[in-house]
Amino acid sequence: MKPVLVLGAGPAGLSAAAELAALGAPSLLVERESYLGGNPKRWRYAMLVPDLKPTEEVLGGLLRKVAEDPRIDKRPSTVLTHAEPAAKGFRVTLRTNGSDETRDVSAVVVATGFEHFDSRRKFEYGYGRYPDVIDFKEFEGMITDDRIVRPSDGKAPHRIAWLLCVGSRDIQVGNTWCCRVGCSVSIKQAVEVRQRHPEIEAYVYYMDIRTYGLWEHLYWDAMQQYGVKFIRGRIGHITLAEDGVRLLAAGEDTLLNRPTEIPFDMIVLASGMEPGAGTTEAARLFGLTVGPEGFLAPASSDLNPIDSGVDGVFFAGAATGPKAIVDSVTEGMGAALRAFQYARD
Amino acid sequence: MSAVARLSRRTLGHTEAQEVETPALSLHGHRDRTPEERELSETMLSEFHGDPRYERFVLGCLNCGECTSGCPAARFYDFSPREMLQVAIHADAATLWDAMQEKIWACCQCYSCTMQCRFGNDIGGIISVMRELSVRHGLESARRTLAPFGRTFKLLSTVGTQLSPDMIQPEFFRDWGPTATRIDATWGVPLEVLRKAIPIDVLQTTRAAWEVSVQTSLELFRIYEETGVLDMLRGVDPDLTEMLIELVDERREEFEELKEQFRAELAASSAVRPVSPG
Amino acid sequence: MLDATDLRTLVAEQRAPTQGPGKKVVDVREEMERLEAKGEIIVHRIRPENRPVEVTNLLGRPKRIPTDRLWHHKSCGQCGNIPGYPSSLLWVMNETGRSYLNEPHQTSCTAWNYHGTATSNPVALAAVAARNFHRAYETDHFPLIHCGTSFGDYKEMRKLLVENEDVRHKVREILRKLGRELVLPEEIVHYSEWVHVMAPEIVARRVHDVSGIVAAVHEPCHYYKMVPEDAVYDRRFFGGQRPAPPSSIVMALGARVADYSTWYDCCGFGFRHILAEREFSRSFANLRKIRPMVEEAHADVAITSDTGCVTTLDKSQWIGRAHGFSYALPILSDIEFVALALGAHPYKIVQVHWHATSVEGLMTKMGIDWPTAKVEFQEYLRTLKEGGSPDYLYPPRHEIERYFAINKGPVLPEEPPRPGSPAVKTLTVKEGSG
Repeated sequence: MKPVLVLGAGPAGLSAAAELAALGAPSLLVERESYLGGNPKRWRYAMLVPDLKPTEEVLGGLLRKVAEDPRIDKRPSTVLTHAEPAAKGFRVTLRTNGSDETRDVSAVVVATGFEHFDSRRKFEYGYGRYPDVIDFKEFEGMITDDRIVRPSDGKAPHRIAWLLCVGSRDIQVGNTWCCRVGCSVSIKQAVEVRQRHPEIEAYVYYMDIRTYGLWEHLYWDAMQQYGVKFIRGRIGHITLAEDGVRLLAAGEDTLLNRPTEIPFDMIVLASGMEPGAGTTEAARLFGLTVGPEGFLAPASSDLNPIDSGVDGVFFAGAATGPKAIVDSVTEGMGAALRAFQYARD
Repeated sequence: MSAVARLSRRTLGHTEAQEVETPALSLHGHRDRTPEERELSETMLSEFHGDPRYERFVLGCLNCGECTSGCPAARFYDFSPREMLQVAIHADAATLWDAMQEKIWACCQCYSCTMQCRFGNDIGGIISVMRELSVRHGLESARRTLAPFGRTFKLLSTVGTQLSPDMIQPEFFRDWGPTATRIDATWGVPLEVLRKAIPIDVLQTTRAAWEVSVQTSLELFRIYEETGVLDMLRGVDPDLTEMLIELVDERREEFEELKEQFRAELAASSAVRPVSPG
Repeated sequence: MLDATDLRTLVAEQRAPTQGPGKKVVDVREEMERLEAKGEIIVHRIRPENRPVEVTNLLGRPKRIPTDRLWHHKSCGQCGNIPGYPSSLLWVMNETGRSYLNEPHQTSCTAWNYHGTATSNPVALAAVAARNFHRAYETDHFPLIHCGTSFGDYKEMRKLLVENEDVRHKVREILRKLGRELVLPEEIVHYSEWVHVMAPEIVARRVHDVSGIVAAVHEPCHYYKMVPEDAVYDRRFFGGQRPAPPSSIVMALGARVADYSTWYDCCGFGFRHILAEREFSRSFANLRKIRPMVEEAHADVAITSDTGCVTTLDKSQWIGRAHGFSYALPILSDIEFVALALGAHPYKIVQVHWHATSVEGLMTKMGIDWPTAKVEFQEYLRTLKEGGSPDYLYPPRHEIERYFAINKGPVLPEEPPRPGSPAVKTLTVKEGSG
């Protein structure tokens, strides 16, 4: 059996490759970065929702399985430059460090994932100019290293704010959708801080709290056990506070119906998910349908997000829209199964 | 003390008279409408929804409060743009009526709310629509609000600019201080001389911000006639409106006479003589 | 890594924001071309004679700023209360060899009337805008808007006329009654954008050293919050995250621009508030703007680029003393600051005496010998009082122009058109069609 092409080695792609191997099918795992693991690896996610287990613990096993399995042909630092349908499957061209290789593949799993919104585009927040305004993926690194200090002066913060929906649900930057995990990840981070440093105050500014399903406990625990403060209002802009040292977040407390300004030592932005360049490129190469938000559109999104509508091409993970790691891994398994059925028949 | 400045912080609950139906939203300052007012408020509600700008400016609301975060009026008045947008979306005739009494006049028209709105609403814009409605229908609140502005409207209609140097009188601008209001006293020369000292010819006047040609100011008034602005004004200040029309009609006559006079002169000389401005 | 401006460009290219029922036009200039092709409007284009300089707007798209052959669209509040504001601008234009037309044939934009008391309506506002645009067009000079509110208003009116067929028809009919056609300029240009692109020539003429001056900049709301996509952003200033003018010229001259907590706040002008709710305007101005500018930014001067902002911040301080505020922070427009730095006469040109809050301390710090200048000015006033002739920045206009717009307009037999000026086109679209 010709290998199944798996585009992208994030959680969805790793899962698809591992599942294909378990089914006895070979796979060609193509990844544009020099390492496998996708965004969790790139941004050094510390603890994953919902149970706050370390990334290493959750994804480490999957990464090792993929690394050790000879049926998975791993191609880091590789991109796809050409694809054309064959009688069954596709003929594709891979480019690694400038040299090209053409291969025949029996099916394709597109697992090209997402890009985080670049918070510099939210001009009013001063990200990139105020060193103590940071992105929550950068904050993950701080938690992993257990070094929670202000980037500007290296001092310990006394009060940190998380701003939800940065680059999401916002027509001004062009992304109107919800990123699905921002609430859970931000609250998780606030809880992590309060667990390790109960002297640091944690605030979360929100419009809605979307800790879906069984993750709701994060929200309850944050309040009950960890004293995280929640203010219902979206921050309008961030400026230097009166002391010239801290940052001032200006918003409305919509439950008290009045403007509010609170100084913070650090402000963490929950930056949303956008379709990545790899996703857009995959759509072009395989003639895939792209939805109005720029993510890949499955054949019938109310039934399953895996069948693409193009023969032999299957979707897994955030390439079709924002989702959590657990969902990406699950879809990877589903896509592997569908690809296997297609390749075998 | 203006009506808007008397707005105090919101209190919980309000009293209801027996016969008044409960409005969709409660605003502070809710008061009963007379039967005529009730009918008028129904008319205004339907005009409000029928205005073509309504469906462009009012899309929906996440209640995120970004609009209010930058609103200057929200810091000093019992007012917020979020509240105004909610009124625009949900209001029945009674609530819209209430909002149009005082709250809409708290807005500074700075458009901070519109710029911030993550949903794409134009909140400053919809407040303008509500204001236009209240002016067009000659509401008491609109009349009160417009009362101090008769002079600026007269200026605009006759000389074509919205203010003039001789407007800054001490008794009206005491809080600006003597440097602003008694510049003549500071320098020991009349205002006219201080204006002469500005090296721009059209600014050397005290009766207008800059000298607008008669032809141009008549064009402006014509625009006001053709676009219904005079009709709006008549609703809130009929006396002022009649006076303006008289003034401008006189000016028009003078202008026609001047045209004849200059046409003859030009025909005679076939060139325009530069004359030093007097 | 892409910077903020590059990213804005990416956003614009990838997806145009949709708003409400049907997609709203994102770049009004593209739609203007289409309307012109259909004969519905005339586009007043920027030509090489206008010596344009290209900059970028919020979305990273190009905006062309004409620097020569300009039609001054004056501001009521500037000409009435802050005459040094337009005077400084014309003086700097003289110094940099730029030609312009400043004439009596311009109406107020009437936006203050509308936003203050709603005694107007969008058709009237649009008709006034179009009338002024047409006048600039027929004089063959490109309109330069002095006031921030006029600028915001004209951006909105242009958008309204482009997007709304009904308003366009109504305005076209009204203009025809005035003997005019519907003209829209290729760009709506604020004078602070002219100052921004003229920075190299301005800085080359700097006379006084401002490196010791700390400025707090107040960004006028109507410059960047109305039609936000049409404002100048430049990655060299604030990484492209805040508008470039008027901060850019302050920095280019060598002064330091200091940040403060209420940068994004309005000044409190409010339109009707400055006249009828004064306790609000002065409270807001003192508490939310002037206090942080002094106590946080430690500013020597507050620089802004709009009429209302200068007025509010400048005039609200005297009464502040009754509440224990004795800040006395001088407020200047960018162009007045520029003129002073370039050696303009503080009283004869910059007319600093019209400012309620004293500018003299700042001038001392800038090394300007204002006491001598003051004596000169007093002498000048004396000669004027005795009937002497004033000095002018440009030759005064003909007496006849008090009444008639003689260069054009259906009034009098005209002077022949000057060579090189475009023939004023007549639109082919009749009412009720298109």
